[in-house]
Amino acid sequence: MKVTFNKRDPVYVQVVRHFKEQIATGHFEPGQEIPSRRELATQLKINPNTAQRAYKEMEEAGLIYTEGNSPSKITKNEKVIDNVREELILEAVNNFVSAIRPIHVPIDEVVGLIKEKYHDDEEG
Amino acid sequence: MKNYLKLVDFELKRFINIYFVLIGLTIISQITGVILKSRDYLERANVAIYENSLSLEQFISQNGKLSIHQLLQTGWFMIPIALSAAALIFYCFLIWYRDWFGKNTFIYRLLMLPTARLNVFLAKATAIFLMVLGLVGIQLILLPIENTIFKSIIPVDLRMDMPLNEIINGAGYGYLQILIPNSFVQFLINYGIGFMMVFILFTSILFERSFRIKGIIFGIVYYFVAVTVFLFPIMAEIYWGFGYLYPSEIFVLEIILGLLITVFSIWLSNYLINQKVTV
Amino acid sequence: MIEVKDLAKNFGRKKVLKGISFTAEKGEITCLMGINGAGKTTIMNAIMNLTSFKSGEILIDGEKLNKHSYEKITFIPDAITMLPQMTIGEALQFMKDFYTSWNEIRAKELLEFFRLKENEKISSLSKGNTAKVNLLLGLALDVDYLLMDEPFSGIDIFSREQIANVFTSHLVEDRGVIITTHEINDIEHLIDKAVLLDDGMVLREFSTEEVRENEGKSVVDVMREVYQR
Repeated sequence: MKVTFNKRDPVYVQVVRHFKEQIATGHFEPGQEIPSRRELATQLKINPNTAQRAYKEMEEAGLIYTEGNSPSKITKNEKVIDNVREELILEAVNNFVSAIRPIHVPIDEVVGLIKEKYHDDEEG
Repeated sequence: MKNYLKLVDFELKRFINIYFVLIGLTIISQITGVILKSRDYLERANVAIYENSLSLEQFISQNGKLSIHQLLQTGWFMIPIALSAAALIFYCFLIWYRDWFGKNTFIYRLLMLPTARLNVFLAKATAIFLMVLGLVGIQLILLPIENTIFKSIIPVDLRMDMPLNEIINGAGYGYLQILIPNSFVQFLINYGIGFMMVFILFTSILFERSFRIKGIIFGIVYYFVAVTVFLFPIMAEIYWGFGYLYPSEIFVLEIILGLLITVFSIWLSNYLINQKVTV
Repeated sequence: MIEVKDLAKNFGRKKVLKGISFTAEKGEITCLMGINGAGKTTIMNAIMNLTSFKSGEILIDGEKLNKHSYEKITFIPDAITMLPQMTIGEALQFMKDFYTSWNEIRAKELLEFFRLKENEKISSLSKGNTAKVNLLLGLALDVDYLLMDEPFSGIDIFSREQIANVFTSHLVEDRGVIITTHEINDIEHLIDKAVLLDDGMVLREFSTEEVRENEGKSVVDVMREVYQR
């Protein structure tokens, strides 16, 4: 696991986001065990307190769950997983739209370009 | 107590190489001196008797019998002792300053040990004390050995034999008598004064290590005030001849003063090393 | 918790600390930042009673430092605290002899972690390895608080990485760490709190995550604001 952090967003937020991406793309499967906060801190080279904070946030959001003393696991709740996926897509689209809007491009042209680009990238 | 002993052991080990060099130098130089000077004397006797046809009595009346005292007054004997003394005096400074200077910061370690800092101070003083005693002990063992070598080279007719205590007491300038007094009380006095001086010096060094440039002045002033206070009764008697006190009373006064100065120096050092010293 | 309250100190007439106050929590990494001469090292020396100060108070879990505190708090200065003629093994033995909080298992683990050999002489070590031995001497003590003075300065990049890894490992778990640095890059993501110092004063004390969360600023952004005022 390797994450490049930016310096202006809280590190715990970036960790949560990283987990969401992994969940949405299926890299983390439902019910999969996740590293302890200590292991996570070592892997990502972050402060253990930050790892702790990220896990707390994810636990509260239902992204992970803990049963008794066993290691925490990725949620099996499909609705939560779908929400995460949707959230990430929506966020990316929002970012894109707010970037493209000031250029005043007709929507059809944009969609066409997106299709082309998407296709090219997949082939290349 | 355990930490104090460990520190003493550690301090001794740190100086042990130079210390062994000093001991080796003393042994080699003194024994070489005995052999060379004895042979030299014997050579002169041989020349006088066999080549110049002097009788044994004539030679002795001209040159005197050789005693070990004559050997003790040579550089072969005195230089290693002086060198050892100088090295130990120098080491009184080095034992502190070596912990501050250089690429390491060993003084941090010493001051951060989970033990009373006074132990660090006392361990350094004890190490010096043990090294002084060690060298004196070596000298004490060396003297009978040297006497035996002397006897084996010089025939009985040409030499003056004497017991060990006379060898020590009669040595030139009485320097051996200071190192090896012939009474226990004298021993306590000599080494007591020596140790008081070491404690005063250590206190001065700690003044410097606590206040740096200002500390040099404090240290020098402390040293001279302490020594002056100690010598005051004797000086007063010699220069002004007060005559208030009998010699025995001055003696007691000196002992009390010496003890007070020593205790005060240790107390002051304890304060400095705990409250004021700077790495 | 380490509490530094109104710490003031003069070197001769020069005021090197002009009333420094800050706290460092157990389980957190607190970073003292400032250019050379800002008073970082002096503060650490004062916390460890390695230098005297004019006024103020320093409390460690509510207590003033005493000889027993050295089993509870330790300091790793920027130069090695052992004699150059010692081997690493001898240095470790020295620690074992004097500290009841010395953790032999952890010491061995650290030797392996840093890839150091016990029979190596300290004087023959590279700068990076000397820094690692120095760090090891502090980390292998089971202390609650660790003070480190410029652990990253003047050493090669691989040693820096290795040392940075210490902070995210169990080696500092649940301990309170105070670290000084004038270079934030190595550890920006590792620290909980930053204390910005200049000219013997605290200019700002802040939680790094809070500043990112509430102000959207990096540690360097805050430093820029504070120092270039």
